Amino acid sequence: MQLKPRVRRPAGPDMRRRLMAASCALLGASSARSQAVAGSGPAPNTWSIDTALAYYHEDGRIQAIEPVVNVLKDFGDGETVGLNLTFDALSGSSPNGALPSRSVQTFASPSGKNLTDPSKLYTTAPGQLPVDPHYHDQRLAGALNWQLPLTRVTQATLGGKMSYEHDFFSVSGNVSIAEDFNEKNTTLSLGVNDEYDTLHPIGGTPVAGSDYTLFEKTAGKTKNGAGVLLGVTQVMSRRWLSEFNLSADRFTGYLNDPYKIISIIDAAGNTTGYEYERRPDERTRKSAYLENRVGWDRASAGLSLRYMTDDWQIHSETAQLHLRWWIDSQDKYFEPSLRWYRQTAADFYSPWISAANQNSTAYASSDSRLGAFHALTFGLKYGEKLADQGNSAGGEFSARIEYYQQVTDGHFDAPGSLQGLDLVPGLKAILLQIGWRF
Amino acid sequence: MSHGGSTKQFFQANRLSRSRARGASHGRESRLRPVLLSICLVWMAFGQSNAQAGVQAGAPIDLEALRGRVVYLDFWASWCVPCRLSFPWMQSMQDAHAADGLTVIAVNVDRERAAADRFLQQFHPQFDVRFDPEGSLAERYKVQGMPASMVIDRHGVVRFTHIGFRPIDGAIYERQLRELLAEK
Amino acid sequence: MKANRMIWILLLPAAVLASGCSSIGVKPWQHDLLAREDMRLTNDSLDTAIDDHLYFSKEASSGGRSFAGGGCGCN
Repeated sequence: MQLKPRVRRPAGPDMRRRLMAASCALLGASSARSQAVAGSGPAPNTWSIDTALAYYHEDGRIQAIEPVVNVLKDFGDGETVGLNLTFDALSGSSPNGALPSRSVQTFASPSGKNLTDPSKLYTTAPGQLPVDPHYHDQRLAGALNWQLPLTRVTQATLGGKMSYEHDFFSVSGNVSIAEDFNEKNTTLSLGVNDEYDTLHPIGGTPVAGSDYTLFEKTAGKTKNGAGVLLGVTQVMSRRWLSEFNLSADRFTGYLNDPYKIISIIDAAGNTTGYEYERRPDERTRKSAYLENRVGWDRASAGLSLRYMTDDWQIHSETAQLHLRWWIDSQDKYFEPSLRWYRQTAADFYSPWISAANQNSTAYASSDSRLGAFHALTFGLKYGEKLADQGNSAGGEFSARIEYYQQVTDGHFDAPGSLQGLDLVPGLKAILLQIGWRF
Repeated sequence: MSHGGSTKQFFQANRLSRSRARGASHGRESRLRPVLLSICLVWMAFGQSNAQAGVQAGAPIDLEALRGRVVYLDFWASWCVPCRLSFPWMQSMQDAHAADGLTVIAVNVDRERAAADRFLQQFHPQFDVRFDPEGSLAERYKVQGMPASMVIDRHGVVRFTHIGFRPIDGAIYERQLRELLAEK
Repeated sequence: MKANRMIWILLLPAAVLASGCSSIGVKPWQHDLLAREDMRLTNDSLDTAIDDHLYFSKEASSGGRSFAGGGCGCN
């Protein structure tokens, strides 16, 4: 709020503008704060509720149902408080990390203590990917977010998250600050976050790298993560908004998946045993993210690119495109989307351990999430405005479907009898979602 | 500010020419520069065309005719969420102080009249609404944020300039209006 | 030389952008399209949160946009 007439800013000569734009481009602008320009969002001093129900189904594997609710209070002066609650329930079959075999395989559920109690066992037929058919998990997560304007051009954000599952508990906090420049055409943001997780795996934490049949278990574990994000948002033109972020995070502690094992395979292709996976106790990741939004009268498009690299030697590229088409005088829309993703394998990823190397203490994991693969997502969303409920922003109903497919990259030289088997089959999944905003 | 700018510009120009001389030995650098420069040119094209949009001659507000009255000149748009708060407030100011000499003029900057009309249908203002779709009035009055308002006293001098409208601002702005209305 | 370059890349943005990018952008009254809800960056959307959770549990990458998501104990 000004109490004095504003001083006129002198216009610069053309040459100066060209040089400055050039130096600006050389450094590459980027930003992290969402452009909450005096426009979108609920009417000031009101509540808005955003809910969604998602159903996820993997072909022959996991299914999940996930209701989410987000409540936002806008105080009208730029200050907002938001609460998010998410619940999800998963069930179905989850790969346990072992390799398919030409013979029947028998495993114990995580709560099992030996391979003799029949109530805790499950078997895998020859040629099939070993999966735990009784996998189930429920998660309840909450997040609180507080945005506070410090000046007309500075905004601070404080957030906290908590997530609870019967074998995992996570708590994290984040703080960020954003500053506007150039009549709010440029916004610089800096944020940090910290996370603390505790794990109490069912049946106890297995000793990493130990023989599966010995069922050596220990107490609960913890892991800690910290991250930093630096970003710039730049209004490029009346139709084009760009955001560029650089971020890095580092996790230390127990980073293994306590339920994953690796098959030990001899030269003939027989499974001679299993051992629990062992991952490093530290992981540092860096990523660069670029997002662009372009708008026209009845349509808009978004393109985002992300490159990530970490010290486990995983590199990934993500590209996401979506187009929104408004129909029927901006009350209804369709939004097709496409996502392409590719990652390289962690340097300690291996679908199996050869019997000759089984006594090595090197890191090893057969978790397909650490392997090399590419993935495609095709999505279609439909949305329509609901009749005005008094809240000037209006409500919206939306429905969305997505098809996700992961395809393994690379070729594995399967020894002996394993030849001809699909050792790392990939994944196909569908997501259905409906949502309401009031 | 322009002096500081030109020093920076000189500094950057020197740094650019120095690094260009070293360019040959840095393979990755020399591949990147043409890409970045072409991105820069595209950005400039967009930036230039939009910075110049709307700078045209337009009929200014005839403040001469309003000499003797306190004028609350407001710039609003249908897409401006805080304007949903400022409109009822401006209406209540008009109702309370028009007799004492207050004139409210709300200038709309929507590019499409239909969007402005939808907003007006919701708020039914009884004060003067003008339309400035090219933004020439906004440019002339150097609007630096949305909504923006200028409070002009009975002698035609801009006494207060406001950017934005928050719930607490109503009371503060009204105090300013009373102050100017009390002057003769 | 490399350290020198890194320092410039890290320190100059704030200063240069404040004055250097002043020619790129729009006037405050030209934010009509940018104000539209589909022109907001994806940080806030519920869809993004649901998708991010899915990708976090099936892939090795996460975050970059806001903060690294956590909560299911995977990866």
